[in-house]
Amino acid sequence: MKKNNPIIAIVFWSLVSFLTLFPIYWLFVISVKPAVQLFSTPDVILSDPYWGNYAKVWGDRLLRSYMVNSLVISTGNALLCTTLGFFACYALSRFKMAGKESLFFWTITNRMAPPAVFLLPLFLLMTQVYAVGDFRLLDTRIGMILVYCTFNLPFAIWTLRPTLDGIPKELDEAAYVDGASSWKVITEIVFPLCRPGLAVTLILTWVFAWNEYLLAATLTNFNARTLTTGLSEYVTTTGTEWGIMATISVFTLIPALIVFGLVQKHIVAGLTFGAVKG
Amino acid sequence: MQSNRLGWILLAPTLVILFFFGVLPFIYVVYVSFHQWNPFAADPTMIFNGADNFRKIVFDAEFLNSVSVTVIFVLFAVISELVVGYVLAQAFMKEFPGKAIFRTIHTLPLIMAPIIVGSVWKLMMTPSIGIIPHYLNAWFGISINIGTSPVAAFATIIIMDIWHWTPLVTLTLIAALVSLPPDPFEQAQIDGANKRQIFFHITVPMIAPAVVATVFIRLMDALRTVDEVWMLTGGGPGSATRFVGVHIFKEVFPKTNYGYGSTISVIVLYLTIVACWLLYVTMLAPRNKKD
Amino acid sequence: MKTVFKLASSAIALTVAAGMAYADDAFWKEAAAPYEGVTLRGVTESSPPSLYIREVLAPQFEELTGIRVDIETTSWDQMFDKAIKDMEAGTGIYDMVYIEQDIIYSYLARDFLTDTTQLLADNPALKAPTYDEANFTTFANYFKGDNGHLYGIPMEAFIKIYLYRTDLFGDADIQAAFKEATGRDLAPATTHEEYTEIAKFFYEYGQANNMQLWGATVQGHTGHPASWYEYYETVAPTFGIYNWGIDASNNYAATVANGGEMNSDTAKEALQWWLDLRQYAPPESNQSTWTEVGTTFGAGRAAQGLVYGENAGWIASDPEKSLVVGKVGVALPPLSDGVLAEVEGGNGYIGYYDGGAFGMPSTSKNKEAAALFLQYIGQNEVQPDWAVAAPRVTNTATYDDPKVQEMNTELGGYYDMLRDKGYLFAGAPAYPFHAQLREAIAPTFYSILTGDISVSDGLDQMAETTEATLTELGYRK
Repeated sequence: MKKNNPIIAIVFWSLVSFLTLFPIYWLFVISVKPAVQLFSTPDVILSDPYWGNYAKVWGDRLLRSYMVNSLVISTGNALLCTTLGFFACYALSRFKMAGKESLFFWTITNRMAPPAVFLLPLFLLMTQVYAVGDFRLLDTRIGMILVYCTFNLPFAIWTLRPTLDGIPKELDEAAYVDGASSWKVITEIVFPLCRPGLAVTLILTWVFAWNEYLLAATLTNFNARTLTTGLSEYVTTTGTEWGIMATISVFTLIPALIVFGLVQKHIVAGLTFGAVKG
Repeated sequence: MQSNRLGWILLAPTLVILFFFGVLPFIYVVYVSFHQWNPFAADPTMIFNGADNFRKIVFDAEFLNSVSVTVIFVLFAVISELVVGYVLAQAFMKEFPGKAIFRTIHTLPLIMAPIIVGSVWKLMMTPSIGIIPHYLNAWFGISINIGTSPVAAFATIIIMDIWHWTPLVTLTLIAALVSLPPDPFEQAQIDGANKRQIFFHITVPMIAPAVVATVFIRLMDALRTVDEVWMLTGGGPGSATRFVGVHIFKEVFPKTNYGYGSTISVIVLYLTIVACWLLYVTMLAPRNKKD
Repeated sequence: MKTVFKLASSAIALTVAAGMAYADDAFWKEAAAPYEGVTLRGVTESSPPSLYIREVLAPQFEELTGIRVDIETTSWDQMFDKAIKDMEAGTGIYDMVYIEQDIIYSYLARDFLTDTTQLLADNPALKAPTYDEANFTTFANYFKGDNGHLYGIPMEAFIKIYLYRTDLFGDADIQAAFKEATGRDLAPATTHEEYTEIAKFFYEYGQANNMQLWGATVQGHTGHPASWYEYYETVAPTFGIYNWGIDASNNYAATVANGGEMNSDTAKEALQWWLDLRQYAPPESNQSTWTEVGTTFGAGRAAQGLVYGENAGWIASDPEKSLVVGKVGVALPPLSDGVLAEVEGGNGYIGYYDGGAFGMPSTSKNKEAAALFLQYIGQNEVQPDWAVAAPRVTNTATYDDPKVQEMNTELGGYYDMLRDKGYLFAGAPAYPFHAQLREAIAPTFYSILTGDISVSDGLDQMAETTEATLTELGYRK
């Protein structure tokens, strides 16, 4: 480990943090300004905050249900994608299947599609094809969890593949020689070694799902609407309710922060695995 | 080594989901792309018109313009994010007081939805009353207006994108760096290699797969960027920030031009795949040969 | 008045009128009996009038009839897309959709909507005694098909008017300075020249006194159709260019060469006049949609402006959002010579009469129950409270209600103008290709705004693109 002057590091990071935090601080400033002050000369220092927007947002039952939907959909999707991505990467990394590299590349092409035009076929499929009796996949949480796989599953596969490739095959081979089952090798040998990669994948897939707007806006109506679609309700022809939008945004940061806090520990845990000397 | 059957079983759920939610819609879009179809045309039905849409696209100045502004945007944004992200990831490899807090702060932009990011930057950049133009003017006498200056609008979007997405690059690179085995580095130091040699001959090849994966993700996400730009400039001034994502959005949503919009999407998807494939083959060729 | 916008600015459920009884409770209960337990679903923009439906009228109706009404409120562009996808695919998700006045012709052309007049005629048991199409203002005419039947129940209606600051216009010192500078008395402009003169005066006045004040608002966003709308709906008609300069009766001609007016000298003059106003407008004008124009005026940054009626309400009366409460006057927009006479003669219009209605998609599976709800929100009885909560008037009787009268005073006589001068305004031209054509020519329009192309060349190009697009869409033969 190179000996660095911690002062330099702290100054450097404080500067970076200031730049990172400023727009977020400004979001907060907007949330505690009455609408009437938004179009006046700006002031960096916050004085006399106004909490009216918070009262409105907190008292809104619809927004609370959007919050629950967002949490369920993002968490469900992140867990699903990370799990399936992990299995898929184990397969791609360990088996000599015909055409697996092409398959690997193909998965990512699913993320490249410009979403606007894919909404129509998804809408048609989810209303008319993926429907049993009265049930249709449109406007359901499970439907959104599956739809979000189109961009998050490829992402999980692509971020986990280098991690799995980096784990020496000799480790599982040795375990097999000792008579371990495949399940045991995957869950007890490989899985723990992938923890940092899995943690990062979980965080980022969660974030992508949490932040997604366009698909949710089109494919949900009443039951599975998410917070991002709730935000767009405040952009109207009679004026954008910037204060309310900002307040909801501040609220969306809280669960996201908690999830980050929970998962970041595991990235830290991974640090013991090996640190680079630069 | 296990039988390949287990491999296929592990892959199966992924393939099934991607088939039903990725491949089937794609087939539909390809089908529509060979039709003239606008539900509000005099004839609202789908009319097969062969390759006409594809012929038209070659001469579509608006589309070509949107491709070129997108490419410039993506190059600027992704390269900057990669460089800054790598520097920050390396900086996180060292120990210093308050590291956990700084790392958490650094990841905060990621948890903001693109439409929120676009809104905040719009308010910060509103000509004359946004905080940034206001203080640039008050302190430095610089007057910027993203409503009239294409350069200002373009630069704002790039800076916004760097602000928003560099943490993604940093995080994935941290994951790659911490997973590196220490032996080659120790060996190299014993052999007397200098910092630069270590960087180019050991670090780069070893983290290349992760870098490529990250660049891919950023590249394709940047190519699809819609929400932030939609909120910030709406594609303006003029067509200065009308990226392909925004262009397709306008073609498909307000214009309901489903046929031609599908054609543009297919072409954009094709170009993205080709660009990524080339990158993939070039960057990862050494690794694949080794196998 | 302080209570007025509580609803508009938040979605807090109001318990206000729950239990309020109208004359014909018996009718509603009886007519709704077969549909008890049905859930109706509607999609609309999250505007104050729609929120009033969601928070007040829908719960009232449910209590009365046992028919549940779920209203999905969403953003302006999402609302269209969702309604269109549902109706195009025939999914039947929605029983009611918001029909903005400018898209009705597209929906009618596709038979997307249910004929409410016919439905009620065929089902006399559903016809509410308190509902009558004759109660609506003339705005309802924009939701009628060729057969004269009503396809949507009007729920909001506004005119885009000329707002000016009464405190500035009435200030003795300012009046004197204006007289000295221009040689005439300061009063709301009636001609374009006067309008520019006032804009210039207040711009210079603001500069000289180091105030955050400019001469006029301009809805001049360089990448959003709001600017396109300001020119075609608001500016061009005052110069005598109607229906975007397209002659529908003449094979949709747009170019002067083919008999259209889109690139006529008058059209160019109108656009140039509007572009020139930008030098006196606040710097944010180049990024302004209807939202920012309202905010700019509400923040007291402009002495006058052409502002949508939906925003006039809160600008004039909501102290939580506006700094100019009680300082706002309304007037008719400035006009070219002869335009008023032409419009009075029944040919043309001087500005935009906008708003929307609630209609029933043909694909709805609960038409009878939906017909009951639509009649419910169309009754005279529910209008006054609604008009106070979210300033909009759709029924003639509403004007006479004391609550609405009181509000009229607060709004500087806006409702009087809507009632007395509404006939001078008109909805969007009856084009089934409204959004399609707008998007086809808007990029060129933005280029004119940024100065990349001259007004003359730009309008020439737009007229040609219009004809090409309409040919492609199959409307121009």
